[in-house]
Amino acid sequence: MLEEFIYEAGDLFPTGSDAELRVQRSRNRAVNIVQGNLVGNGRSDASGTCARVRRGGVCGFSSIADVSKEAARAVLASAVDNADFMDSRLSRGKGAYPVVKGAVLNESWEVSDPEQKYYVDFLRALDSYIIGKYPDLASRGLFARSECIEKVIATSFGTKAHTTFQRSYIYVQMSAMTPAGITVDNLAILGGWNEFDRNFVKPEDFYEKIDNLYKEVRLKSEGVYAEAGTKTCILGGDLSGMLAHEAVGHTVEADLVIGGSVAAGKIGQRVASDLVSMVDYANVTPFGMSPLPLYVDDEGVRCTDAELIRDGILVGYMHNRDSAERFGVTPCGNARAFAYSDEPLIRMRNTAVLPGKSKLEDMIASVDDGYYLCSTNNGQADTTGEFMFGITMGYEIKHGKIGKAILDTTISGVAFDMLKTVDMVSDTVTWSSSGYCGKKQQMPVSLGGPALRCKVNIGGR
Amino acid sequence: MKEIYDLGQISEEIIKKLGSAGAQKSSCGVTCREKHEFNYTSGDFSLFRTLFSTSLSISAIKDQKHGAASVNRLDEDAINTAVADCIAAAEASEADPAWDIAPLTENAEFINGTLEPDVELLFERTRELVDTIGKKFPKIVIEELIASYSVSHSVYANSNGVRYDSREGYYSISVDFSAHDGDKASSFFYSFALTPTLDKPFIELSSIEQDLADIEKQIDTRPVEGKYVGTVILAPGCLGELLGSALENFASDPRILDKTSIWIDKLGKQVASPLLTVSLSVKDDRLAVTDDYTSEGFRSESFNVIENGILKHFLLSLYVANKTGLDRAPNDGGACIIEGGDKTLDEIISGIDRGLIVGRFSGGQPAANGEFSGVAKNSFIIENGKITGAASETMISGNLADLLMNVNSISKETVCDGTSILPYIAFDGVTVSGK
Repeated sequence: MLEEFIYEAGDLFPTGSDAELRVQRSRNRAVNIVQGNLVGNGRSDASGTCARVRRGGVCGFSSIADVSKEAARAVLASAVDNADFMDSRLSRGKGAYPVVKGAVLNESWEVSDPEQKYYVDFLRALDSYIIGKYPDLASRGLFARSECIEKVIATSFGTKAHTTFQRSYIYVQMSAMTPAGITVDNLAILGGWNEFDRNFVKPEDFYEKIDNLYKEVRLKSEGVYAEAGTKTCILGGDLSGMLAHEAVGHTVEADLVIGGSVAAGKIGQRVASDLVSMVDYANVTPFGMSPLPLYVDDEGVRCTDAELIRDGILVGYMHNRDSAERFGVTPCGNARAFAYSDEPLIRMRNTAVLPGKSKLEDMIASVDDGYYLCSTNNGQADTTGEFMFGITMGYEIKHGKIGKAILDTTISGVAFDMLKTVDMVSDTVTWSSSGYCGKKQQMPVSLGGPALRCKVNIGGR
Repeated sequence: MKEIYDLGQISEEIIKKLGSAGAQKSSCGVTCREKHEFNYTSGDFSLFRTLFSTSLSISAIKDQKHGAASVNRLDEDAINTAVADCIAAAEASEADPAWDIAPLTENAEFINGTLEPDVELLFERTRELVDTIGKKFPKIVIEELIASYSVSHSVYANSNGVRYDSREGYYSISVDFSAHDGDKASSFFYSFALTPTLDKPFIELSSIEQDLADIEKQIDTRPVEGKYVGTVILAPGCLGELLGSALENFASDPRILDKTSIWIDKLGKQVASPLLTVSLSVKDDRLAVTDDYTSEGFRSESFNVIENGILKHFLLSLYVANKTGLDRAPNDGGACIIEGGDKTLDEIISGIDRGLIVGRFSGGQPAANGEFSGVAKNSFIIENGKITGAASETMISGNLADLLMNVNSISKETVCDGTSILPYIAFDGVTVSGK
């Protein structure tokens, strides 16, 4: 584990400046099997030290691929030089940030690091199960990965924090042929928070999910194109989570608000139906531990929940210390950095639409002609709130009953318009935690939500 | 760039260590990099960032079993750990005769770009761009602007005796922005350029000035009426992204290895309009970047992936090439070049009754068979040969394979961002869905 020597580096912090010092180690393990061929098999390990110093309202940052007291001294000196460079040319003359209480905590642990053979053997077992039971598949692929990020953070305002972030997954992909000879595919993601050898103990624990994936891809191979237009849809939890993150979450990141996002100036205004509430959780939710719990951000601010929408009313943005000062609020620990060489940016953590009271089956039964959209492979949104999600698994709803599967399609809309059409919210939240959000740096995030009944544009052929 | 490591010596030692550990074939790539970066966010300069980094990637084949490892430190402990990890990964693998490394042909040293930064001038060019945007495009709000200089020294070595030594340094500028007028706003857009020098103001590079002007015209938008099949012009940046998706779906390693590519039997056959030639270039005087050798240790060569509509190559690694009996790609992707055509953009627009110019495509990952659908962002509506407004909430859909066959025309104008050269291309038969 990383040593906590930077806790004693307080005398290195430049007098009268806000300063952060971080040492970090990131470990990734990956194995990839395509059509039975082991095409990827590697381990990576990256560690280093970085510092950020703020003077006169501008920041200098520096990083080096070394973990030592000398490295800490070097990056602090380089960060000071960079801050001075900017300050001397811009002369913004701003003072220090408002004082926040330093976070003193230890949420680190000695993670297990199974040998590469463990990953290979586990994937091989799943691959053997798939090819043995489902030889009619057009193709199959399995990808295992484990990601561990350990950080020690010290700041000029007293933060001394040591954290471990550990998640691991297996992605299972299957393809099947349609009667017309077209390939369709679908993906199941297994795993979550924790080490690989804790999440994946016995291959047979995952056979049921693999069987379900096969059923879905078979249904999809007999699927139909969605009919283009504005339709009443039930968005499953994956979709409402994507909506929370992409279409709403980004527009309420304070740096994008300052850049003119659609959420600018809308605090206190209705942006969704009163059935919709949304929170960016830190480490505990009302329905259990956050999928990716975070306790301190990379500015050294303790993580607390950021409430975004309450009963349809926009109530807050997500901040770093700089934007919190501008808006006169207390930051909730949303400033996150991915690699040791990355500076903290305003990022989401565990962003979710809160559950309602409806039952999913009642929601489906209430739709005469529409779609139940279950899975998405990506989503993008604009600062205007206009969003697009790729749909990889969904079904027609005809007269209140699930009908044929649909082929890949896209849904789109304008978030704050679409959310006002939400008239039923299911009582169960589902999370996905395997993904990365892209915003200069990539960042592990989780997203969740209940099923939503709403009106949305769906693309056809 | 100050270097405290002897990369040549480190790479030699690693190849020896891998051999001693039982690898019959091995390779390594070792790099030192320095980066200087100015950030402008939330309406002001916010950060000056300097990074000093190193990286090591190693690969070993032991008894025809393959393993890989990477670390970002070059001290002896880190190297020994990486070697042990790499060998352990190989031993955990399964023998496959398709794994191999590049043969020795001719070793070489390469120098590209500018190896010493002018940080002061980089800052001034950045401030100049911010000022120019403020004066010439008052409705533009910069969401994020990043100006950087990156210099690196890399050494590649393998157990066949291949040795490459490469030094390169480039400046880059990227701007994310949108246009605003009161409560009304355009969609966001981004512009990018890579350049070896700071001779020109950033505003003159790539399509930055044109992009800013276009986005200012997209504050007031309207949805397209109804649904129709028409002609869609893809702007260079958008063209590059969709073309990349097509090549990934139809010509890349996974789709050829699992035989799900719809081009699997199309080598030497027509897969696109005869008007279309797509080159993946490793050196061109118009480009900033040069690609001297591949990540597998082969000297890079330019090639046409599609030539006059005929599929000439798949984009395969050595492993998949050996696995399938097909040819390895002559480079790792290179710089995409499509030369300009015989009509100006205005002439192309004047020939379209109903269609769009699409600046950015916001869509899901196209399906394996090439079906795509998504939102036409930063787009203009074409009616009766004229641009009649900017579009909102408009979707386009089609099939990437069909799209490539349906080239209507290619513009004379091209955009070079330092990493690619692309024109505007008009494609027929695209479904456009509005409200």
